[in-house]
Amino acid sequence: MRVTRVAERLTAPALAVATLALLSLLFFYPVGIVLVEAVRVDGVYTLATVVEVLRDPFFFGVFAQALDDPAVVVRSFPDYRLGLFGFTAYQALLSTVAAIALGLPGAYVLARFEFPGRKTIRSLTALPFVMPTILVAIGFVATFGATGVVTGALQTLGLQVESFTGTLGIIVLAHAFYDAPLIARITAASWEGIDAEMTETARSLGASPLRAFRDVVIPQLLPAILTGALLTFIFSFMSFAIVLALGGLSLATVEVWVYHRISQLDYGTASTLATMEMLFSLALTYAYLRYEARQRATSAARPPDRIALLGPATKRRLFAWGYAIVAVVVFVVPIVGLLLSSVTGPEGFTLRNYRFLVERQASAYAFQVKPLTAVTNSLIFGAGTLLLAVPMGVFLAIVSTRQFRGRKLIDTLSMAPFAVSGVVVGLGLLRGFVFGTEAFGYRFTVTGGLAIVAAHAVGAYPFVTRNVAPALAGIDGSIVESARSLGASRARVMLDIELPLVVPAVLAGTAFAFAISIGEFDSTVILATGDGSYTMPVAIERFIGRRLGPATAMGVVLLVVTSVSFVIIDRLGEGSGFGG
Amino acid sequence: MADLELAGVRKAFADTVALDDVSLDIAEGEFFTLVGPSGCGKTTTLRTIAGLESPTSGTVRFGGEDVADVPTEERDVGIVFQNYALFPHMSVRENVAYGLKFADPPDGQSVDERVADLLDLVDLSGMGDREPDQLSGGQQQRVALARALAPAPDVLLLDEPMSALDARLRETLRRQVKRIQTELDVTTVYVTHDQAEALAISDRLAVMSDGAVEQVGTPREVYEEPATEFVASFVGENNLFRGEVVGRDGDDDAITVAVDGAEFRVDDGFDGRDRGGEAPTAGDRLTFCVRPEDLRVDADANRFEVAVETAEFLGETTRYYADWGDRTVVFRTPDPHGGDALTLGFDPADTRML
Repeated sequence: MRVTRVAERLTAPALAVATLALLSLLFFYPVGIVLVEAVRVDGVYTLATVVEVLRDPFFFGVFAQALDDPAVVVRSFPDYRLGLFGFTAYQALLSTVAAIALGLPGAYVLARFEFPGRKTIRSLTALPFVMPTILVAIGFVATFGATGVVTGALQTLGLQVESFTGTLGIIVLAHAFYDAPLIARITAASWEGIDAEMTETARSLGASPLRAFRDVVIPQLLPAILTGALLTFIFSFMSFAIVLALGGLSLATVEVWVYHRISQLDYGTASTLATMEMLFSLALTYAYLRYEARQRATSAARPPDRIALLGPATKRRLFAWGYAIVAVVVFVVPIVGLLLSSVTGPEGFTLRNYRFLVERQASAYAFQVKPLTAVTNSLIFGAGTLLLAVPMGVFLAIVSTRQFRGRKLIDTLSMAPFAVSGVVVGLGLLRGFVFGTEAFGYRFTVTGGLAIVAAHAVGAYPFVTRNVAPALAGIDGSIVESARSLGASRARVMLDIELPLVVPAVLAGTAFAFAISIGEFDSTVILATGDGSYTMPVAIERFIGRRLGPATAMGVVLLVVTSVSFVIIDRLGEGSGFGG
Repeated sequence: MADLELAGVRKAFADTVALDDVSLDIAEGEFFTLVGPSGCGKTTTLRTIAGLESPTSGTVRFGGEDVADVPTEERDVGIVFQNYALFPHMSVRENVAYGLKFADPPDGQSVDERVADLLDLVDLSGMGDREPDQLSGGQQQRVALARALAPAPDVLLLDEPMSALDARLRETLRRQVKRIQTELDVTTVYVTHDQAEALAISDRLAVMSDGAVEQVGTPREVYEEPATEFVASFVGENNLFRGEVVGRDGDDDAITVAVDGAEFRVDDGFDGRDRGGEAPTAGDRLTFCVRPEDLRVDADANRFEVAVETAEFLGETTRYYADWGDRTVVFRTPDPHGGDALTLGFDPADTRML
């Protein structure tokens, strides 16, 4: 009895130390390497690289020019040079505006109309959380690219179009495709929480319907819209796969340029840029989390009656119908385009592309991408990710529901990977582990595969935590107290009562982690360089230019895996933690 | 079984004092109730006994032993919460058996025998394989009771166990709890906000208000001899009169008190009891109370005119609210009265000085 009691008491601190150690190894140490490399040249600490970047108009546009020649601000008005950072922020801003324009009407339709499949569509708005960005990219190439479905359709109509990819517009549209559902989701949730009686009171006091909407509804929606907009801006600012696949170097954002510098083996500039970007995204994420924490979820005592979507044409219905058409074009066509491309070839309908995926290409050259290898790698790394991410995520969820000093710090540290892009983590792991690290007089090196699993685990465990923590917090305190009064120690209560009750949330978190791993591109593409450890998303990116067919087939495989994970998450989970 | 003692227990949270110098002595096998309005500290007291809260200062003793360093799971207490708190992923049987993982069943019984005995005790034999969500509220509460009793705890703690149930079920379950408690002779601390329930079920009760104990006594003592104005008005219904002593009538135990211009002869509260202090004399301000059933229509003494405001027919009796000047008095009588104006009065011996 005594010995087991002592062992039980030591379990929790031991797990805490193990988790933090793992987190340091997988995340803080690699990110730290990037930070150090940003300010170290040939073993000497210096801010020279930082200053150089800050003064280079290529990176900071008019701000850099103004450092030498302030008059440029007046002279070049209003045609300022944006620079890399300026362009990144500019495209993120455009994407945010587009996502809001596309998302708000969606929120209106979801919150105020009733139609068959409404709940399903509402669940689907959470899909972007698990949808790999490379999937969006390949969908858009398959639809709007040179041989894309929409491009082809327009050409048959006699229009002179070549390709929509490689333009700023298509990047913005892809970001809107990705983020508008989030805005619709967050805003609709807030909208449904507004009591009908509030609007009715305003009306009874003499306000017109439009006036009541403006005075009562909009002010209550504003926080939700801002939350969604901030999230969209962060996602678009840090967007990598979409910009790389749809824009290439000519429309490079900071992330893409960092990747470019890495592939040119210019790790110094890459680290400096990555550090600057990281500081910016950390600040934004901090602002987002602060703002989100102030929102209180309300539920209406009596939500307003929903309008049936089908019925005689009214102004509201016409608006909703019009939006439905736009939504189908923007959200459904790229997915249909992907599916169609995957089963068509010059000869018409074909399964050639799928056969290509499973055929061993003994004939392929060593440097060529073998599709089957990509598929198996993805599955192996996915399984490895679960082994790390699920225990870490569950444990951090347990920690975050306990009251103790320093809990906030651990909470924040454990959620930090949200704010650090995969490119940075990838760069750190590459420099720190793949190239080797010296400790105790030995040089340790880690193969690309292990580093990829580490990067995936870092990206995935916060989603496990964000699923499990609310479930744990939702357990009635008196259930725990009952168990303790019956003689169970704290650790026993965790094993006997709490963990069994959050099994669905753990499964949802597991599905989430798997989906994140399968779809991860940003760090994988860096760690898989010059190595056989490429995954499906990396293979898709390498195929995109030359072999669109296999790329789309692989995209469909990703889509299926993602969808299955999504169904599990939707049935069992608490959502992503982002605004439900 | 053990006796239970709280000595000078104080519990302060960040910005409030939940318990202020609470001292209680609860005898072995006693059914002891903590009663008071919400926020009075009764649940905090219970949680302190359970070890779910630790007192800021003061001592809790089980059988004379300080339990400050004993965590809940080693305290040998059984708790039943208002919301039952059954483990939703376990069957009824597994719920009841849970505590037997950590303590052997009493009297050399096997776990199965013990569980069967307890389900029998709470009239749920044959329900062992049900899941908690297949049971009604009353059944769930009985499972929670069986679960708490299974390891034969020294102390049974019941935190408003019936307030989620409807009135009739509550009375049935109350009888059952009392029967089981008497049968097992387990020291029991019961928390409720319902003073009628507290009077009905307890051996003794403590009336609490604002984190402090106002009075401890048997139900009859607390009802008939409330110690404070709070107890007088919280336990049962009461009419409180505040006034000034005019004088004493000879050697009598009665004094005359002026209330809003009227004069009443009341018992001075010193007959047969020695409460210490001095007998009230002319000029003292004091409060006395008269129970609604002691206000009588057309009584001989202490008569005053009232105007009936509302009559409530309660079945056995009728309750009247009547205006006397600016104040409202309440009285109960089995005989209904017509008309608005009545003369009420009361026997000086039926008054109680506070």
